[in-house]
Amino acid sequence: MKALFAEGLERPQVKLKQKLLSLNWPFLLLITAITLIGVAALYSVAGGSLEPWASRHVVRYCLGLALLFIVALSDIRWWLRAAYPLYIIVLLMLAAVLLFGVESGGAKRWLGYGEFSFQPSEMMKIALVLAVARYYQWLPPSQVSWPYAVFPPLLMIGLPILLALDQPDLGTAALFGIVGGGLLFLAGVSWIYFIAAFVGVIVVLPHVWARLHDYQQERILTFIDPERDPTGSGYHILQSKIAIGSGGFAGKGFMQGTQAQLNFLPEKHTDFIFTVFSEETGFIGAAVLLVLYLLVLLFITYMALRCRSTFPRLVAAGMGLCLFAYVFINVAMVTGLMPVVGLPLPLVSYGGTSMLTMMVGLGFVLNAHVNRESRIRREEFGPFW
Amino acid sequence: MRPRDYGLRLRHRFSRRAVLIGAAQTGLFGLLLWRLRRLQIVDSSEYQLLSDDNRITAHLVAPARGSIYDRLGRIVAEDRENFRVIVVPAYCDDLAATLDAISEIVPVAASDKDRVMRAARRQSGYFPVLVTEGLTWRQFTLLSVLAPELKGVSTDRATHRRYSRARSMAHVVGYVGMAAKAEIDEHPLMRVPGFRTGKAGIEKGLDPELRGQPGSISYEVDAHGRVVRQLGATSSVRGKDLVLTIDQELQEIAHKRIEGLRVASIVVLDAVTGAILVMASFPSFDPNEVSFKVDLERWKQVARGEDYPLENRALRGLYPPGSTFKVVTALAGLETGVINPQERMNCPGGYPFGGHYFRCWKRHGSVYLHEAIKQSCDVYFYETVKRVGIDRLAAVSRKLGLGQVHDIGLAGQKQGIIPDTVWKRRRFGHPWYPGETISCGIGQGYVSTTPLQLAVATARIATGRAVRPRLIATPEAGPEAALLDFDPLHLELVRAGMVGVVNEKGGTAVRSALTIPDVQMAGKTGTSQVISAKNRGFLKGWYGETHALFIAYAPVGAPRYAAACVVEHGGGGSRAAAPVVRDVMTEILLRDPAARPAFIASNQGAPADR
Repeated sequence: MKALFAEGLERPQVKLKQKLLSLNWPFLLLITAITLIGVAALYSVAGGSLEPWASRHVVRYCLGLALLFIVALSDIRWWLRAAYPLYIIVLLMLAAVLLFGVESGGAKRWLGYGEFSFQPSEMMKIALVLAVARYYQWLPPSQVSWPYAVFPPLLMIGLPILLALDQPDLGTAALFGIVGGGLLFLAGVSWIYFIAAFVGVIVVLPHVWARLHDYQQERILTFIDPERDPTGSGYHILQSKIAIGSGGFAGKGFMQGTQAQLNFLPEKHTDFIFTVFSEETGFIGAAVLLVLYLLVLLFITYMALRCRSTFPRLVAAGMGLCLFAYVFINVAMVTGLMPVVGLPLPLVSYGGTSMLTMMVGLGFVLNAHVNRESRIRREEFGPFW
Repeated sequence: MRPRDYGLRLRHRFSRRAVLIGAAQTGLFGLLLWRLRRLQIVDSSEYQLLSDDNRITAHLVAPARGSIYDRLGRIVAEDRENFRVIVVPAYCDDLAATLDAISEIVPVAASDKDRVMRAARRQSGYFPVLVTEGLTWRQFTLLSVLAPELKGVSTDRATHRRYSRARSMAHVVGYVGMAAKAEIDEHPLMRVPGFRTGKAGIEKGLDPELRGQPGSISYEVDAHGRVVRQLGATSSVRGKDLVLTIDQELQEIAHKRIEGLRVASIVVLDAVTGAILVMASFPSFDPNEVSFKVDLERWKQVARGEDYPLENRALRGLYPPGSTFKVVTALAGLETGVINPQERMNCPGGYPFGGHYFRCWKRHGSVYLHEAIKQSCDVYFYETVKRVGIDRLAAVSRKLGLGQVHDIGLAGQKQGIIPDTVWKRRRFGHPWYPGETISCGIGQGYVSTTPLQLAVATARIATGRAVRPRLIATPEAGPEAALLDFDPLHLELVRAGMVGVVNEKGGTAVRSALTIPDVQMAGKTGTSQVISAKNRGFLKGWYGETHALFIAYAPVGAPRYAAACVVEHGGGGSRAAAPVVRDVMTEILLRDPAARPAFIASNQGAPADR
């Protein structure tokens, strides 16, 4: 009796230590390396100064790291209970943006005021992953491909997409689509649905095109043919391509990027940071950065594969999809493979909300990894609570 | 089938699909790399050409700084042409060699070379760096001819600040200098070579108005940084001009008058409009020396020189007002009704209170209010202030503009101290002791004021209006200041006392009466002690002497000019300070600047509520 009691007392301590040991430390090293690349690029963009971006980027990373540890070491069952309420709260905030949001650059994205403003759409990426994973944790495996069982997660994914399109924020909507669709696929939903959806999109696409804002249509058109308007909307992509291309194989040297330093690039400290980096470090630098990202992604896939239970498995894979979508869309955008949609490069671009959400997301990946061996039984949780 | 099998099948399905997605991700990253290879390796030379084409350098053009005029339109500060040499380190093959080549034509100090090398390391090489300035026309033309041979070197014409009547105006107008590190971080525009910001005086206080908007010229340059052609330019917007209320000529006269003294300052206001006509402080400095081609040794001499020449005593010197404060005590006594102007008090040469004997400077015998002000009897005011009490005295003082900062556009003003019970508790955490009230009645103790505040108080007593001092002239006259809620009869009694000080037999400043026929000046002397119980024995020689003060207004019938003068450690107020005010006031009355309309500049800034 006494021994049992003592054991019970000591358990949490041992558990925390075990948790810390079971964290994936090489993974954290990779993330830090990517962030440091961001710091160097921001230092260069500011003309060789820690102010105003690089120093704050470091501070935000440290804050994010603290959040990452908190999330990674927290109880996974708590998050199972919190998944739906969290999703609903963030969904309401996303709706609130449409009503009370602050407009900036032609789109309403921000909630709050001044220093305290944030983008609910960023938080939605995490809430969405948690909610869908929570759903499949509860759903009996035999019913995964039943039509009525596919409907709830489609609703979960569809609502934020519609809200994002209404802001209008094409990039975020695409991101929700990739993350949500990927999760359904990984959860085991039958191929038939995906083929049907693909056919459906092809049918619907012309109608969506008609509903797009002029500036979005214009962006897509100038993407197809940048020469259409070299001083207007095609200008950014053209300048970005010139910057990257003129970097050559080895780059122009740190802080020597003429395109970036001479202000040819738009938003060079946020969405176009990759351009600055690859102009100055060339193909080698850009490839190293991409390989670092790919390593992170493969690590995440590996961690997801090792999870015994559905929830952590889908959470880890979902966050991985999210990171992939960010990196791919951003790099494809600045290299002229995709229209300019305005997504940052995770961990490298300057921006508080994006940095913190990314770190929280990676915290969930590590949380899943810590809980890889735990068996969460389906019956532990009800349909909603 | 059992559900367990379904679970296992799903897990296998997840594994298969996760590997599939992982492969897809790797493939798509491969696509990105392929794209980068296309841009950076295959088509790189094409893009490099485009990028070189692109080397349009945008030079920011520093705007001309607004001029500063005195009230009659005489130039106080203006921009003059300045020929400079600039280098863009990124375009130089060897920066050190380039600098050596320049110094064969124009002498470049070793410290300047160091500065350029440091700047080139610290910031991006594409920011132009100033090498040296103030070139002669000959040097400028010679370098301009040679510049194409020296990669990265260019010459340009900019401006520098020139101050006229510099020493007398120094404290008012201030000076400019290169932007400090903190300012550069705040506003990258400050990196424009040779951009200067206000560092003191009006140049600092109204810097945003004077600064203007920078323009830019974009040049297309070849790979060596040589200008191929000018593409376009947005012109800079000149800063606003400012017109001061100061009369430069009178300022010069006042400055000359106090020059012989070791440390002194004088302020003269238009008592009706509050316009500051004269604000002189000695010792002074030459703002030209510290704004352009600054010699570090010389700068140290100025900044740390004896008696601190950079300090503007008129607003930063804090002095116990001494007997000049008696007019405030008298007004407070009358306003609170504790004294009757006819009431006589006996001055036996001192005043016992709380076990301490407060001395008077003389045995006056029986005096009433008028005589007490005229002869500056301490005992009369000891008794008055005892009846008034410290809090009511402080209230009257503040209404007269003491113990507060007057916003005239100059930073760094001192507030001074008008003590009361609340102040004492906050400052020391002790209650007010009645014994402390007594010395406050004659402007000693905790009381301290600046010359500007004394001049404002004098103007307010002279006109009975809440006159606000101002240093910037506005094209249209503002509304007349509101009447102060003092009984006009009480103000008249105080003023009569001040008239007596200068013009009646037995007054403390009769020797300083004006010699202009039919014009009289009213005033009050003050001699304030610097030695207290605490510092007795420490202050020796000059530092132990009393401060000499004098406040005055004129003409007596229709007050127009109010003045305050402090001669630090100058001895008695009637001997050292009153003659200064008399001389300056005489010059002012002879010229009567208030009667002449203020100059209106063509590009005048409208300072908000000053």
